Amino acid sequence: MPEFSLTPDQESLRDLARKFARTEMAPHAAECDRTARFPEEIYRKAYDLGLMNLNVPTEFGGSGLGLFEQCLIVEELAYGCAGMTTSIIANCLALEPILLGGSPEQRRRFLTPFCASYQLASFALTEPSGGSDAGAIRTRARRDGDAYVLEGEKCFITNAPHASLYTVFATVDPERKHKGIAAFVVPRSAKGVSPGKDEEKMGHRASSTGTVRFEGVRVPAEDRLGEEGDGFSIAMRTLDQTRTPIGALATGIAQAALDLAAAYSLKRETFGKPISEHQAIQIKLANMAQAVHAARLLTWHAAWTIDHGGKGTLESSIAKCFASDAALDVADEAIQTFGGYGYMKEYPVEKLLRDAKLTQIYEGANEIQRTVIARELLRAYQ
Amino acid sequence: MSRRTLVVGEVRQGHLADVSLEAAGRAIELTEPTAVVGFVAGSGAEAAAGEFARVGIADVRWTDAGSGSDASAGRIAPTVAALAREIEADLVIVGGTTFGRDLAGALAIRWDAVSATGVTDVRREAGAIHVRRPVFGGRATETRRLAGPRVVLALRPHAFAVPSVTPTTVRTSGFAFVEPAPSWREAKLLALEPAAAGGGPALADASIVVSGGRGVRAPENFRLVEELAASLGAAVGASRAVTDAGWRPGTFQVGQTGKAVSPQLYIAVGISGAIQHLVGMVSSRVIVAINSDPSAPIFRVADYGIVGDLFQIVPALTAEIRRVRGP
Amino acid sequence: MEIVVCVKPVPEAETRLRVAADGARLDAEGVKFVLAGYDESAVEQALLLKEAVAGSTVHAIALGPAPRTEEVLRAAVALGCDKASWIEVPSGGSDDPLDAARILAAAIRGLPHDLVLCGKQAGDDESGLVAGALAEALGVPGFGYVVDLRWDAARSRFTFHRAVESGQESWECPGPIVIGLQQAWNDPRTAKLPAILKSRKATITKIAASGAAASVATPEKFELPAPRTGAKMIEYRTPQEAAEKLVRILREDAKVFP
Ligand SMILES: Cc1cc2nc3c(=O)[nH]c(=O)nc-3n(C[C@H](O)[C@H](O)[C@H](O)COP(=O)(O)OP(=O)(O)OC[C@H]3O[C@@H](n4cnc5c(N)ncnc54)[C@H](O)[C@@H]3O)c2cc1C
Ligand SMILES: Cc1cc2nc3c(=O)[nH]c(=O)nc-3n(C[C@H](O)[C@H](O)[C@H](O)COP(=O)(O)OP(=O)(O)OC[C@H]3O[C@@H](n4cnc5c(N)ncnc54)[C@H](O)[C@@H]3O)c2cc1C
Repeated sequence: MPEFSLTPDQESLRDLARKFARTEMAPHAAECDRTARFPEEIYRKAYDLGLMNLNVPTEFGGSGLGLFEQCLIVEELAYGCAGMTTSIIANCLALEPILLGGSPEQRRRFLTPFCASYQLASFALTEPSGGSDAGAIRTRARRDGDAYVLEGEKCFITNAPHASLYTVFATVDPERKHKGIAAFVVPRSAKGVSPGKDEEKMGHRASSTGTVRFEGVRVPAEDRLGEEGDGFSIAMRTLDQTRTPIGALATGIAQAALDLAAAYSLKRETFGKPISEHQAIQIKLANMAQAVHAARLLTWHAAWTIDHGGKGTLESSIAKCFASDAALDVADEAIQTFGGYGYMKEYPVEKLLRDAKLTQIYEGANEIQRTVIARELLRAYQ
Repeated sequence: MSRRTLVVGEVRQGHLADVSLEAAGRAIELTEPTAVVGFVAGSGAEAAAGEFARVGIADVRWTDAGSGSDASAGRIAPTVAALAREIEADLVIVGGTTFGRDLAGALAIRWDAVSATGVTDVRREAGAIHVRRPVFGGRATETRRLAGPRVVLALRPHAFAVPSVTPTTVRTSGFAFVEPAPSWREAKLLALEPAAAGGGPALADASIVVSGGRGVRAPENFRLVEELAASLGAAVGASRAVTDAGWRPGTFQVGQTGKAVSPQLYIAVGISGAIQHLVGMVSSRVIVAINSDPSAPIFRVADYGIVGDLFQIVPALTAEIRRVRGP
Repeated sequence: MEIVVCVKPVPEAETRLRVAADGARLDAEGVKFVLAGYDESAVEQALLLKEAVAGSTVHAIALGPAPRTEEVLRAAVALGCDKASWIEVPSGGSDDPLDAARILAAAIRGLPHDLVLCGKQAGDDESGLVAGALAEALGVPGFGYVVDLRWDAARSRFTFHRAVESGQESWECPGPIVIGLQQAWNDPRTAKLPAILKSRKATITKIAASGAAASVATPEKFELPAPRTGAKMIEYRTPQEAAEKLVRILREDAKVFP
């Protein structure tokens, strides 16, 4: 039977994230958005409270949470600031390949020292030549004795300029397409690793996104995750895990937009009454509420499916795709509810629209999600 | 014989504090004046005792609280309880200061009474005391029925006026100090530093806020707003028109993109009442607006309005407040 | 040092207050109860003293119904309290702070205590009666409105300040004492995620309620401020008259200053 109420344990985790988002993140959200500042002091606090390496088991120093609990936390954080949330959860994305593809020895060797202090890691898959077509990456890994030599460039990598560790996907043989991809753990300190500067972005401006170049970087073979051809599968299984929290992140943005719009509608008066009494505004709010609820429930369902041993490819794609579309719509309607004020940077709603947009693009663009959904769906009819 | 009411006074700088006179005023309204007994403790108690005459209380007891020691609430609670028993009081009233609220808790246990603090309204009806008091930071008000044979009330300071009655002649007499628990002997008041002069309270937790808007016209005129605030011991706020113009720093701004305040009293001077300003102050308990434009939206949320030129009204108001409150 | 800290579950600050059907109290339906306000500072102060004085223990104690009371105790444990005790009383029972103080005193008498801390007033009823009442019931000195509470180890005394109307008092007093805290040295800390998860499994000791008389304080009415309907305009001929009228209203009707 479905169970829709949270346990006291889950509530207390959500409360922690809510408090952190509202007291530590939200007050700095506008300033970081305006100046594109990377608020490292906030990320450090998130680490101190245990809000950072959510998916890493406690034996390695992480928080050891299931996907459902991760989603509860991510939604709350995104309510405070989506951009900061992207940077806070980037470690989950970057470390998941080690959890999925690493040997017990590698997990201990990489994760334990990493999680023992505040450090950032980046997941380096996307390349300038393409993101959606991950099988076509060009970064090369050439075998040289008991090591590999990495050569290539990654782009749009979250936290890249600040990370101390990268999980890098490279091909040992482009001819073999996705069967030739291998995953490596590469420290920032390795010779030949050079992160580029921060990109100027439309939204998520408190987050940092940049390129990383690998020029003759020697990586010991023992730092390869799984076998040579396992990289693509590790990347896809990683995204199967981390897609659902992006649905939660989008839900958090949508909830923030709905809350702002509803509160404003009660105060703003036109034609002698609060705009909340105009039916056009009521319909807007009702539609926004439906979208937020549906997004949350789809996200919860996807997380629940994966936590209960399901693969969750269909469910997580539906959740991520629906919630990110909902976030954009709800943020858009929130601006409309605010009228001209909504268009002004001094009010917090236009930021939500800019932040929502990214959730349709990263961790698998929604076009790709729809392709996946259709594929999974049609399989049942074939 | 009807039961008696005991008013516990507080001595400040050798005089009976205003809050004690306010408490006396309530006592007289709830009880016949002749059934009200005043009490003060500590150094200067004997001299201050006579000041109960100002509010028409004739029977006043005092104690020096054990020579050389302070008259903190917990230390004198046993004495107050003993006096309440001796005069067969059924009600003890005290001003709800630090002293008064500490006393209420200790006395209620010692005298086996029921108690309420922060009281802003009180009446006696059908053998019980009914009190009203703000709760949840002033966001709600509760009324409670206190049906005890013994009741202790701590009144919210300045919620009641000092009564104006013809003074009586007062009969003061000493009352024997009752020793508190032995461990009190080692509790020592080392120093009392007087409150720093000037420097109004912080905007966010001030109980009174006076804010000025574009209507003050120039930075130097903002002094009018500040003087009014000083006369009330209030914090100073401003609309964004003022902070944007640089007349006052951004930390003064009240409103959507400034601070949200909910004081007991908010006085808006030369502020039109734009929604962005209103959301920062509508939850104030009492709002007063002073504006030359009778159609200014601020008057829709205000409780009291004065339509007029702030350059005339504000100085008159400051002078009147100084007159009634003393400099 | 044995520190007992009393905590009370109160509605979280963002709660939209509603009146219950009987018109006499807060409608608690759907309200989330938390450790908040001055009680949170009291816990912080207890933990700071524990950190400053080696070998100290902090024992959180709360009185109230399930599940909210258990939840605030778990929150206190997550913050770092060593032990937690819960005096369970049914919901809808007496809300008289003096009853609470009597029951707490009866329980605390059976616990080691050098310092009993509580917030200077609860975030809901704002009575501020508990510290004074607890002290009297325990037969020890008690002080409300305390800031800057410290332990002078060399002289085995607590030292502290408190704000009174005419300024600031400095005190010293050996334990055991009861303190109603206005402010800790620091802003209250936030519990960390692993500590929160661990606190879920912590043992909460139950203590039977004893010591309260049948309460004679009953709530009659709970009111929210009426929506505003527009200002009462002051009519006047001279600015002085306007000022006099306004001051009179503010003192006598609105009662906002003396
Ligand atoms: C702020 C930000 C942070 C990021 N962080 C990371 C990170 O940490 N690590 C990382 O590896 N990557 C990261 N990315 C990259 C992100 O995942 C990619 O941008 C995304 O996968 C899309 O790839 P692309 O930009 O190359 O677009 P393209 O692949 O060039 O796609 C362009 C358009 O074509 C559509 N499209 C492509 N193929 C198909 C198809 N088969 N059918 C239909 N439509 C198709 C896409 O949906 C899109 O609309 C980040 C991106 C951004 C903007
Ligand atoms: C995005 C945005 C955010 C904003 N955020 C805030 C905010 O946080 N806080 C805020 O306050 N505002 C904010 N505003 C500004 C707000 O819309 C108003 O512009 C501002 O509050 C007006 O300030 P005011 O009332 O002082 O000035 P005005 O609206 O110019 O009003 C001045 C008033 O003074 C009166 N007056 C003039 N002379 C006299 C006199 N001699 N005697 C008596 N009365 C006189 C006039 O009748 C008038 O009503 C925001 C605006 C925007 C667009």
